[in-house]
Amino acid sequence: MAVSRRNTSQRLTLVILLLASITVITVAYKGEARRATGSVRNGAADVVSPLQRAVASVLHPVGNFFAGMADYGGALGENQRLQLEVGQLRRQLIESEQAQVQLDQLRAEQHIPFADGIPEVLAQVISAPSSNFDVTIEIDRGTSDGVGVGMPVVSGVGLVGSIISAGHSTAVVQLLTDPRSEVGVRFGSGNVALAQGQGETDPLQLQDVSETAFTYRGAPVVTSGLDVAAYPSGIPVGTVSSVRHPGGSLTSDVLVAPLVTLSALQYVAVLQWLPPA
Amino acid sequence: MTLRMWARLGLIAFGAVIIQVGLLDQIVIAQAHADLFLLLAISAGLVAGPQQGAAIAFTFGLVADLFVQTPFGLSSLCYVLVAFAAGLATTALPGRATFGFQVAAAFLGGVGGTLLFDGLGVLLGQPTVPFHELAVVAIIVSAACMAFIYPACRLFDWTVAVGPGTHRDAGAFASGSAR
Repeated sequence: MAVSRRNTSQRLTLVILLLASITVITVAYKGEARRATGSVRNGAADVVSPLQRAVASVLHPVGNFFAGMADYGGALGENQRLQLEVGQLRRQLIESEQAQVQLDQLRAEQHIPFADGIPEVLAQVISAPSSNFDVTIEIDRGTSDGVGVGMPVVSGVGLVGSIISAGHSTAVVQLLTDPRSEVGVRFGSGNVALAQGQGETDPLQLQDVSETAFTYRGAPVVTSGLDVAAYPSGIPVGTVSSVRHPGGSLTSDVLVAPLVTLSALQYVAVLQWLPPA
Repeated sequence: MTLRMWARLGLIAFGAVIIQVGLLDQIVIAQAHADLFLLLAISAGLVAGPQQGAAIAFTFGLVADLFVQTPFGLSSLCYVLVAFAAGLATTALPGRATFGFQVAAAFLGGVGGTLLFDGLGVLLGQPTVPFHELAVVAIIVSAACMAFIYPACRLFDWTVAVGPGTHRDAGAFASGSAR
């Protein structure tokens, strides 16, 4: 009898808690409540961020030690790969100096916009995502620094993502590789497409690329800036890493490797530019 | 649950937030990191039993949801189920739960919790995570849960110790944590 009563009580508790959780999800999904939830989240991030920074600065070496220990083989391989890259980069540096001169001349003549004239807010990355299911980073600049939702975030190399949530002193950046991220891009001989994220470790996928669109491996991909695009035009996004023409399909499978190493970001710049309403 | 018990739970939640965002989020192995709140949910179920454990997990889920971009309440829903299952498993034991049982529960809770979170997320319109990434996350999360289940259970022993003994679930006695 007592066991039966206990079982009933346990089930009742479970049902109540499940209903409470579902209610929270449903309520937080609606417009006003969603904004309120966002504000609470931003507030919590603002409160925790000073402590978080202090703890991270003290414990960062500990974290690095464990991360390095767990990935010792990878680190060794990466070290060798980087040494090779250093050699290649030294050679490319000489070549690129010449290319830079030509590029500057071209820009001066054609006024190609590459975030020129857009004010920037420099920010430090203070946290990786707290969930394994988020492809976001947190930065140490917020609304008090002029950072707002929708603003593009870049590094010295190219596009990183955009601001999806901004608190008083912190903001959350959705990375390009987030499956919810879509970027209007231009590539090859004037083709445009949407580049969609496919997860942290996977390249971006270009949507609905006609099989007749000309492109090649290594082709640069930049933001298109068309119409009501979420990004200004001309920001480097990546390079085409794979082009496939599946038989019987009218579209090509085009993958793009992001230029920025999104897993190793330390500093980024927020462009104070908002998409047209 | 007594006020002192809630105070201790608050202390644990606050510490967990700091450790998670200040340390664990930085230890990224194969693009995944440990989930301290899932570990605490499993431990709560093992030590406090299905009822109290699920209630604690619900609260911890709400705290965890403040620091992620997934739908608010998703962590609570997931943790409630994991904690309840862990608590229920302990009540089914004939005697006291051994350390081996706790490690096994941590493994299953880690894998199950990760898959549950992903599955519920997809139902709520979250993007699908590629299988290989999900497998890596499940392995890393469950490994971390197994590694730290013992101290986490001791932490809840300390918390439950100031709770009303008569209200404690039967699971607590079977978990081997209750003295």
